Amino acid sequence: MSDRSWLKRWRSGLIVLVLLAALFLFLPHVYGNESLLFTLMTFIVLAQGLNLLYGFTGYLPFGYVGFFGCGAYATSLLVLHTSLPVLLCVLGGGLAAVVMGLILGPLLRLSGAYFSIASLAASQILYYVVSNTNLADITGGPYGLKIEQVYAPAASYHTMLAVLLLATALAAYFRVSNFGMGLRAMKQDPVSAAMAGIDIVRARLITWLISAGVAGLAGGVYAWNLSVFYPEAVFTLQISVFAIVFALFGGVGTVIGPLIGAGVLYSLYSAIGISTPQYFQLIYGLLIVLLVLFMPGGVLSLFTRRGLRVF
Amino acid sequence: MSSEFLLQLQGVNKRFGGHVVLNDVSFGVAPGEIVGLVGPNGSGKTTTINVISGLYRTDSGHITFNGQPVHHVPMHKLAHLGINRTFQVPKTFRDMTVRENIEVAAHFGQPGHAVDVRGILREIDLETQADKLAGSLTVNQQKLLDLGRALATGPKLLLVDEIGAGLNPAELGGIADLLRRLAQRGIALIVVEHLMAFLGSITSRVIVLGAGRMLFEGSLDAASRHPEVVAAFFGGEA
Amino acid sequence: MELLEYAIIGGILYGIFFSLVGIGLNLIFGVMRIINLAHGQFIVLGAYAAWLVSRHFGFNPLWGVPVSIVAAAVIGFPLYYAVVPRLQRSGDPEMLSFILFFGIGQMLEALTVLGFGADQRSLPSEALGAGNIGVLGQEFPDSWWWAAAFSMAAIVALWLYFTRTKLGYATRAIMASRDEALATGISVNKVSALAFVAGLALAGIAGVFLPYLLGSVSPDLGDGLTTTSFAIVIIGSLGNPLGTVIGGLVFGLGTMLMQTYYSSWSNLVPYVLLLVIVLIRPTGLLGKAVRSV
Repeated sequence: MSDRSWLKRWRSGLIVLVLLAALFLFLPHVYGNESLLFTLMTFIVLAQGLNLLYGFTGYLPFGYVGFFGCGAYATSLLVLHTSLPVLLCVLGGGLAAVVMGLILGPLLRLSGAYFSIASLAASQILYYVVSNTNLADITGGPYGLKIEQVYAPAASYHTMLAVLLLATALAAYFRVSNFGMGLRAMKQDPVSAAMAGIDIVRARLITWLISAGVAGLAGGVYAWNLSVFYPEAVFTLQISVFAIVFALFGGVGTVIGPLIGAGVLYSLYSAIGISTPQYFQLIYGLLIVLLVLFMPGGVLSLFTRRGLRVF
Repeated sequence: MSSEFLLQLQGVNKRFGGHVVLNDVSFGVAPGEIVGLVGPNGSGKTTTINVISGLYRTDSGHITFNGQPVHHVPMHKLAHLGINRTFQVPKTFRDMTVRENIEVAAHFGQPGHAVDVRGILREIDLETQADKLAGSLTVNQQKLLDLGRALATGPKLLLVDEIGAGLNPAELGGIADLLRRLAQRGIALIVVEHLMAFLGSITSRVIVLGAGRMLFEGSLDAASRHPEVVAAFFGGEA
Repeated sequence: MELLEYAIIGGILYGIFFSLVGIGLNLIFGVMRIINLAHGQFIVLGAYAAWLVSRHFGFNPLWGVPVSIVAAAVIGFPLYYAVVPRLQRSGDPEMLSFILFFGIGQMLEALTVLGFGADQRSLPSEALGAGNIGVLGQEFPDSWWWAAAFSMAAIVALWLYFTRTKLGYATRAIMASRDEALATGISVNKVSALAFVAGLALAGIAGVFLPYLLGSVSPDLGDGLTTTSFAIVIIGSLGNPLGTVIGGLVFGLGTMLMQTYYSSWSNLVPYVLLLVIVLIRPTGLLGKAVRSV
């Protein structure tokens, strides 16, 4: 792998990025519901961000939405209390999520299911703290926040597209770089990886922080786009669930898996899930069961099983 | 005398719960030396390797490598310092190719250093399998890959854990040649084995463990006549 | 002082009930190393069974208990044989079961909403005695005493099962070492399937009393109950399902005290407990919680 030139290694990644950018720049012209496209992008980002952690290290953060909410609130509070330009506030949202990731770093000592449930607990704690009426003066409590003064649907749309490209570029980097190879080794056998000279604790932490940052940025842009939201909108468990299901369905550990998973399933959701959410829930619940039993590698594993390399 | 030792263990103790697994273990290994580590099952051979390679921490005692204390150093740093090992049940990266397995260890084990990956593949006789997935190899091939991974980190001390099990005489001969070659390059080796003939063909110095204690240190011949060693292996009175 | 006494005695009652809530999760994990993330959903199903029995058919909601047991067998045995042996043969049964049962939980939640609607349902309070029983000057609803009594009975029954019956002994053998149990000729699958059904039944029975303890039940309670059960199981037990009682009591007392003094923060209790316990007690009962590397 180290023999191939930079361009050759990045070829697939660059193609995907260009296609994504073209797609989402073009779609609003033919499909009027920009808000739907925006939310679709948001979920692709979240699925990709989750994939960075789960697909490459095996940690499944059930509380992933906690970082999203962190970003949303940090961005909004920066907008309300400082005169910084919106984009910087969004960056601040991403930063806040990374800081939260550092604070929650000790969770990485836990394994498997323990980690998942503990991360869920952490995100629920964040939600209940933020939405508590006693803190309404600071965080808006159960009444949420309003940042209508910066409402800008077009600008926030393009910013989310930028975040999407960033998340996908990061996934591509994980996929082709030596760092990513180290992660893959670590996921398969941590002891052997340590003996191969990989600093496991550091690699895990970096991946965790990157994943958190992606969710934080997405949360910040989402808050900007909505400009009025309640705590449930950015802390609900359902967002974590969707991100997990979408990533699993597409195939984790790849770059295009989350793109496919979120693309297909969110489209399904927008068709039937908004009016009859229970049917959608039933379907994706069944999908998860079938995936675990028959296709743990997601849709893309149908190709890899036949020996085709997927990106 | 101890300054010529690359690795030195002194009074190493390890307990799991109430069970003493290593009891006052002390020995040294010089560069380029092959030392055998033998003993009945449960005598602490693999635990010794685990403790030297950083998987377990010692409860008390010292381990020095190149004069530096290493008993509380994390595994990846030990790999950088030059300590590496194989595993009784080989731990290869099954979803990566043979070549990638070596490349990972080369990249992270010797950062910045150019490593002859093909040379290592040739040495462990897996050059023709380079693009196969590690998980598809036979157990014996995986053992060699495990060894190759360790070699790719440029070790000065190699801990080999029961590599001979399941190999036929021709394969054993090949491994013996390989280990001797490694020692000639100055790599110190600790070889845990049950196969005495194989061990005898590569070294003249063995350490015998019994229930975590060092029972004997010396030549294989003398070991087989030592009453405590005989008792440990065959039970009962010496 | 009155408040404190109320919180403590109430906390004990609440805690005994929550031991029952957690014990099914613990039993299933202990015997087959499977994490039933749909646990909370099964509890909710038990609550709806009681609701059906009492509001729809007019019987005493306590009949929900035998209904739950039967339903657990009807659902549990096929479910066990369909997924568990397969999971145990896979590379990572813990995580895979985690995700799979998460999927089952989502399906159950959807089906519950489709079947019963998303609104909150309550059970008739007269059915279990509309009055209060007092202890040490503090009064608690009759239904709470019924819940605590049934919980203790269930826990004692489980203890007797483990210590006095052949099947129970076999179950403990499997919990200690699955391979050794197999080697000594125990039909591990049959005993495990029974434990699985028992775990679901215990969840269902807890569900019957849930609407009384919480005031009402709705389909979305499942996730919170699962996480709470996790917290309870992790705090108390040391590989022994009966140790869940300690976890339940810690949770019950913590919750009641919070509700009495800082009620707006009381919904944080299970999550904070879980996070604190899991970070300071690395060798949790659910296998090794902390990585060695």
